[in-house]
Amino acid sequence: MVDDGGQLYTIEGISAGILMLVTAYLVISSTTVLTPQDVHITDVQLEQLGNDALAMLDTRDYYDDPRSPLQEYIFQNDTINKEYFAENFTLYCNSTTNAVKKDKLRFNATIHYINSMNKVSSYVYYKPDDYDYYRENAVKVSRWIYLEKGPLNDYPSDIRTGPNDPKMVLMEVLLWRA
Amino acid sequence: MAGLNDDGQWIILMGFVVSIIIFILALVASQSTLVGKTTSESVMEFSKTEIQDLRAEVMYLKDKQQLHGDPIDDLKDLSMQRKATAVEINKWTDPNRVYIFIHFNDGITIYSEINDEEII
Repeated sequence: MVDDGGQLYTIEGISAGILMLVTAYLVISSTTVLTPQDVHITDVQLEQLGNDALAMLDTRDYYDDPRSPLQEYIFQNDTINKEYFAENFTLYCNSTTNAVKKDKLRFNATIHYINSMNKVSSYVYYKPDDYDYYRENAVKVSRWIYLEKGPLNDYPSDIRTGPNDPKMVLMEVLLWRA
Repeated sequence: MAGLNDDGQWIILMGFVVSIIIFILALVASQSTLVGKTTSESVMEFSKTEIQDLRAEVMYLKDKQQLHGDPIDDLKDLSMQRKATAVEINKWTDPNRVYIFIHFNDGITIYSEINDEEII
């Protein structure tokens, strides 16, 4: 003869078991996307480095200097000043704590200005001869450049302001690690 | 159910309630797909250097007495077309103070400032 005492406990035990099984199944089968928190760290560092390098170039060496080095490079806008820009930007970006080993950052620079149609025009300010940008993972950094007149050489013919007017141009540098 | 001890029904009921709540919570957890946004993405979205650069440039233009006309127009137009950023810069004076209003909005970050200094 089967004792029929404790039926309610039996029911409770079975339903609790089913609940636990279903809960465990739901938890295990739920989709979890794990996002590593450091995927863009290198981009952040590259962007900061590029902005800092531009800020250093755009700081006057002496208080009574008429222009910062970066302003001077863009104001002159000739081959030798573009070389100066590339040389100094490379120096600031690629220096490491090791005096011999340099970093391998590469970059090109573009100047944007407002043309007579009130749209943006641009010209390549500096593009290295020996390598090009082939869709590497790059960051873009920019800096406002005030010119009281100019640029002196290769004056863009469609610029909104005249050669002797004060104007603002935007330098954008594309920076990537080779 | 003859002779079944019906003491402790509240305890059993609470046991059920708690397990059902856990079950519902598990349902909710299984429905939420966790899509991550990284800290570094937020760092890059925040336009710290853009605002610093803009502010530095405005202060430089103030020293050069150029806070009007072409340079400011170039700045606003280039901001809008190259950076999708609305920039507004205004300058006004009252008898002994000069005020410079800088506004920056790139859709994620809004920065507003009224810089004022005494005219010496």
